[in-house]
Amino acid sequence: MESIPLTWEEVARVYGRKIYNFAYRLTGDPDDAHDLVQEVLLRVRRGLANYQPGSFEGWLWRITRNAFLDDVRRRQRRPTAPLPDEVDRWDRASTESVDVEYARISLGDDIQKALLELPMDFREAVVLCDVVGLSYEEIAQAVAVPIGTVRSRIHRGRKMLKELLA
Amino acid sequence: MIHPSELISAYLDGELHGPELAQLVDHLGGCGRCSAELEEMQRVRAAVRSLPIVEMPPGVVPEADPVLVPLRSHKGMWAGVAAAVVAAVIAVAAIVTPEPGSLTVDELNSRFGARASLDPAFGPAKVVVPPMVGE
Repeated sequence: MESIPLTWEEVARVYGRKIYNFAYRLTGDPDDAHDLVQEVLLRVRRGLANYQPGSFEGWLWRITRNAFLDDVRRRQRRPTAPLPDEVDRWDRASTESVDVEYARISLGDDIQKALLELPMDFREAVVLCDVVGLSYEEIAQAVAVPIGTVRSRIHRGRKMLKELLA
Repeated sequence: MIHPSELISAYLDGELHGPELAQLVDHLGGCGRCSAELEEMQRVRAAVRSLPIVEMPPGVVPEADPVLVPLRSHKGMWAGVAAAVVAAVIAVAAIVTPEPGSLTVDELNSRFGARASLDPAFGPAKVVVPPMVGE
């Protein structure tokens, strides 16, 4: 039986960066990734009290994925302009660090654009496999589909990427 | 000829076992089309895995507690502090024996982080394409 991290703060420290990268690669947007990490941490905080010992990572990535899909649905229902406090979260970082970070992100621009062209099911499977590093079994748990479906989505996603990057 | 195309990515990811693995390896030995697809998928997979890690802006997650979090990203003036904290943690770890069966944050970090692409060591799979037969 697997124990779990004691607090949501510890979950945040161990997984925050991975959740942020998952969201960033899925959306291509730093603000959306920021919002998703905080929403996931809120859900983890609420959910830890009722957590049943099992696959902690399967549980966490299921929460992450559901939070992401909820956000997508909310945006589809209610397209909005940015709120005033969302104008520039990067203000909190120094100009130099933003420049450095932008240069680093730009290195993968073509691949990121191609990822965003993929249908969501395929993009999600490829990102969970190749960016987050989950096994097929863990992806199947997170997405709630059979492993055969995960296998198919990853392969078809990569084939689409190949065409987009050609 | 039936081409087991969808097995190729699973093969690259080390997710193919038993009869399916044997079937694909056998097929790749005689099929130029699938061997070419294997190489293409290997390139795409490596490209996605080469995407740079995107660092979070400050304040997204709670401030790190230096006793619990590895300090490898700290630089400059914090390096000395980090070294002192690491030394303290090692000293405490030598005295305190963890409760059997518990999973610590460090263990989670190493177990999960070791295979993730967020770890610089997480590279593309090395795949050996069997030699062609009759081509």
